Amino acid sequence: MFSTKKTLLAAGIATFAFAGSAFAMSGNSGSNSGDAAKMDGKYASNYKEIIEANGGKYLDSKVIAQILGKDAMNGREGLIGKLDPNNPYSFEVDDAIDGGDHGNGQCKVPAAFLDVHNAAKKHYYDDSTFVANGFGTPIAESAMKIWNISVDGDGNGLPDPKVGMTVEKGGEVYVKFCGMCHGEFGEGAKGYLPLAVDQSLVATDPSAPAPMKTVGNYWPYATTLFDYIRRAMPFWTPNAPFIGDAGYMGMVGYIMQSNYIPKGFDKDGNPVQLDDDDFYNSVMLMKQNKFMKNQGNFFCDHRPVVHNPRCMKDCPDYMVGDGKGNIHHFTEARKLPDGSFQYNVPQRLHEAPPGVGHAGM
Amino acid sequence: MTDKIVEKVAIQTEESRNQSRRAFLKGSAAVAGGVLFTKSALADSVDGVNKFDPVKAVAPYKGEKEITTVLPDQIERKSLGFGVRKYPYGMPSPYEKEVQRRTLEWLTPDSMASITMTPIQSLNGIITPNGLHFERYHGGVPTIDPAKHRLVIHGLVERPLIFTMDDLKRFPSISRIHFIECPANGAMEWKGVQLNSVQWTHGMMSCVEYTGVRLSDLLKEAGIKPEGKWIIPEGSDASGMSRSVPVDMAMDDCYVAYAQNGEALRREQGYPIRLVVPGCEANMWVKYLRRIYVHDVPLQHREETSKYTELMPDGTAQRFSWYMEANSVITYPSPDFKMQGPGKYYVRGLAWSGRGKVAHVDVSFDGGKNWKEAHFTSPVLDKAWTRFEIEWDWDGSEAFLMSRTTDETGYVQPTMPQMRAIEGTNNVYHRTAMVTWRVHPWDNGANGGLIQNVQY
Repeated sequence: MFSTKKTLLAAGIATFAFAGSAFAMSGNSGSNSGDAAKMDGKYASNYKEIIEANGGKYLDSKVIAQILGKDAMNGREGLIGKLDPNNPYSFEVDDAIDGGDHGNGQCKVPAAFLDVHNAAKKHYYDDSTFVANGFGTPIAESAMKIWNISVDGDGNGLPDPKVGMTVEKGGEVYVKFCGMCHGEFGEGAKGYLPLAVDQSLVATDPSAPAPMKTVGNYWPYATTLFDYIRRAMPFWTPNAPFIGDAGYMGMVGYIMQSNYIPKGFDKDGNPVQLDDDDFYNSVMLMKQNKFMKNQGNFFCDHRPVVHNPRCMKDCPDYMVGDGKGNIHHFTEARKLPDGSFQYNVPQRLHEAPPGVGHAGM
Repeated sequence: MTDKIVEKVAIQTEESRNQSRRAFLKGSAAVAGGVLFTKSALADSVDGVNKFDPVKAVAPYKGEKEITTVLPDQIERKSLGFGVRKYPYGMPSPYEKEVQRRTLEWLTPDSMASITMTPIQSLNGIITPNGLHFERYHGGVPTIDPAKHRLVIHGLVERPLIFTMDDLKRFPSISRIHFIECPANGAMEWKGVQLNSVQWTHGMMSCVEYTGVRLSDLLKEAGIKPEGKWIIPEGSDASGMSRSVPVDMAMDDCYVAYAQNGEALRREQGYPIRLVVPGCEANMWVKYLRRIYVHDVPLQHREETSKYTELMPDGTAQRFSWYMEANSVITYPSPDFKMQGPGKYYVRGLAWSGRGKVAHVDVSFDGGKNWKEAHFTSPVLDKAWTRFEIEWDWDGSEAFLMSRTTDETGYVQPTMPQMRAIEGTNNVYHRTAMVTWRVHPWDNGANGGLIQNVQY
């Protein structure tokens, strides 16, 4: 299901922090009733004071509970009801609000925090007594033409729409420079990352190998793809002038096509896929930037998620051993026939994907 | 000939030790579940003054067989050693050659985008020697000429500036000791035990003294515009590493380091300059720093979207998880060592927190049921390794050793079952729960004094 309306928030916190009710949570929501949160419909109207009183920690679970109220702590359902364009605490940035064709904006700094931030007068650059040391040399922005390769999530920094090539031509460039490591169809090779394997990200069996995170099922922005490939690929000769912006744009088109990212929707709401002879450029990329499949599923840092007391004696079962008080119920590494322990076995036998590194990380 | 005699003395020593252990174990049967080896070297108080009692003081040695073989002379006493400047840059003794960074070849398909781990089981104190600092590259190590290196600050600033290395060293300097930890430290152990060494479970981190120039000084020099809310440091290596850092964090305690442990940065750690983001995941500490771009929003780059984000069991993912949470590990005894028989041990290890100073470290010998507070044997510094130690009288029975950090924010390090229940097993990053070392029961060394990494 695609939607340009961004839904998920940092406040997804509640789902996780309170899901494990077996843990001794510090009972934030309950203890805050006295903090004079003025609940005005969907959020506390005095949110700025609440954030300020907590040292500006807008992502703190305690702060979120105070602003969004107790019912926001009833899992994600409770939260989603809290999200609307008029809620300045919402992380949701809808095209309608900030008026831009900017792709998805979830997890931007919320408007409420920016207000607090600005009000706090922490403007180091406003210090009237400051006099520069004069140790550097001024440099013109135009001198940064080659060095400045940054592209942001709104598409700032992308090449001119004239620069690009057809998806089919992009596929040829991809096969030439990328296919040997990432597979001709993005399936991965030699231990390098697949780019277009569509696996579910939801965990079913905790002992099963982790799902492969690819452009289609994981990446929230298409702009990242252009930035990263031009920045760091091909691995052995990155930022290659002989590929150029047009070539990099073409590669992005081919990878997006391989991941079935639509370029739009027809009047019946069915996704429209990229054609081989579509000219792939920054305009097409920004269209697709709105339809990244996983874009709504990121939330900002919600830690700490466990709030244990510093128990010293006869600790409760949930903090002991296997979490049920049994200290002899543990897992250990696989044993060889002679009884000795054999470590690293699943990876050595390629039964499990690597945990870290260029491939897995 | 000398070697033979040394060997003989060694065997004699070992026999003597084993003999006394056997005597000890027999005797210990009479001690009903009590704590052993608590014999005080102090006699009863006389007039409020403790008097030293030599008989009591040597009691733990009672029954040890005396070594009678005459200690042989040593060859080192009979010949000259090497002179000055044999090694203009000194190297460790050849006997320390096993203490080295190591990697697991199955982790990555090549060595240019790979990682090595620091042998923290062999380290003492809180400083990692430069040659043992862990490595993590995304595009290999460049060898940059500092005379040609430049740092540019541009974007939403009043005065875009370019600095030479000489320019940077004219700024006021700052030296701080901080830990640096890859957020994937321990990543291989989400689904269960994989590895049996502290080097593998916790070695993607180091702690050194960095010297450099405050980032706030550089940013003030360029003059951030009010709409500049994020800085994007970028490296000049093949990966062009880039991350988005909030300007508040940048103005707080970040700095641009040109030295580690008193000498220039090593190439492996970003020579000639790297960013230091105390307490935060190492990926943000951009190496070979050549550009700081000031922008109004984070750039949503690859290393903060597709990587270094934590996949939860329900398919959602956490991002912008910069801080390394409170963590700790017992380095001795740990799976790299063997128990040497029942008796007294000084259990020691490392504790750290990305959110400030370590406040307490508690150690459990029974899988988390009961805890005792350890004391610190190093300075307690902000966002730095802290070395703890605690006395333990091991009675030879099975034990489950765990250490737990409480940091100055009051956060208590969680257990693995708690973390797994919330974050699942596909998370990869920030596995900061406690680990457990299972000490096997002592059976006169038949199992080799095994200490095993197990997981609850």
